[in-house]
Amino acid sequence: MIVTNTETIAGYHISEIKGLVQGNTVRAKHAGRDIAAGFKNLIGGELKGYTELLTESRRQALERMLAQAEQLGANAIVNVRFTTSAVTAGAAELYAYGTAVVAEPGA
Amino acid sequence: MDNFLAQMAVVLFLIALGFVAGSVAERRHLALLGKRERDNGPFLVTQLKSFPAYTENELAPQMVVGEVVIASDYFKTFLASMRRIFGGEVRSFHSLLGRARREATQRVIEQSRELGYNAICNLRIETADVGGSTTNKKGAAMVAIIASATAYQYQSPSS
Repeated sequence: MIVTNTETIAGYHISEIKGLVQGNTVRAKHAGRDIAAGFKNLIGGELKGYTELLTESRRQALERMLAQAEQLGANAIVNVRFTTSAVTAGAAELYAYGTAVVAEPGA
Repeated sequence: MDNFLAQMAVVLFLIALGFVAGSVAERRHLALLGKRERDNGPFLVTQLKSFPAYTENELAPQMVVGEVVIASDYFKTFLASMRRIFGGEVRSFHSLLGRARREATQRVIEQSRELGYNAICNLRIETADVGGSTTNKKGAAMVAIIASATAYQYQSPSS
C-alpha cells in the first residue's frame, strides 16, 4: 500500500478512484502520565508520554484507514490529512482521511 | 502572614527553578537541533504539492509523519501570565513553538533518511491539542505539533 499526502504519486498513474477512506481514534494516557506532565511543566522539556500518545493515535488512525482502503480494493491512498481535536482533558482525538485509489507504475 | 510568605517563597522558588532548568533545557535542545540539521546534508525539503526533480527508481514515494509535544516551564508560563495583563507579544512562547516545529520537521527528515529517501515534498505542519490544553483553562501549557510529508528520491541537478 502506497500512502502519500500529495495528490499524485510520482512514477505512478492513478487508474481508478475508490473514494474517501478515514480512520479515527480517541486515546488517553493513564493518570500517572498526566502527573509526570505536570512536573515537566515546571522545568520545561519534551513530554515523552504525550508524544507517545500522539504516535500511538496516529498509528491506529492510519491502520483503520488502511483497512478501509483494503476493503475497497485500493492499493494506494493519496492526499492524506490529519486533524486533531480535544474531546476532554487528558484525551486527544486524531482523525486521518485520504482518497483510496488504484495506482499503476508508469507515468 | 507567615502563610502568605511561605506561599510567596514557593512561587519564587518555582519561578527560579523554571528559569534555571528551563533555559538549560532550551539551550541544550537548540544546540542538538542545530547539530542534527547540519547532519541532514543535501536533503531537499519543500512544501510544494508536486515532486520537484523526481527521478525514476524502485522506492515508491511514501508518507512520513513526525510528532512532538514540548512543555513550557514555570518561568515562561509566569512571563506569559504577566503579558496577559499588559498585552503585547508573548516572546517566551515564541521560542517554544519554534523549537517544537523544528523538532517535528527534523523527525520527519530523519525518518525519511533512514528509509533511504533524500527529499520530502508537501510538508504540512499543524498544531494538535493533547491533554485538552486549549479547552481546559487549568491545563498545562504545552505545544503539540504533527508534521507530515511525502518522502521520495530525487537527483540534484548540480551533481
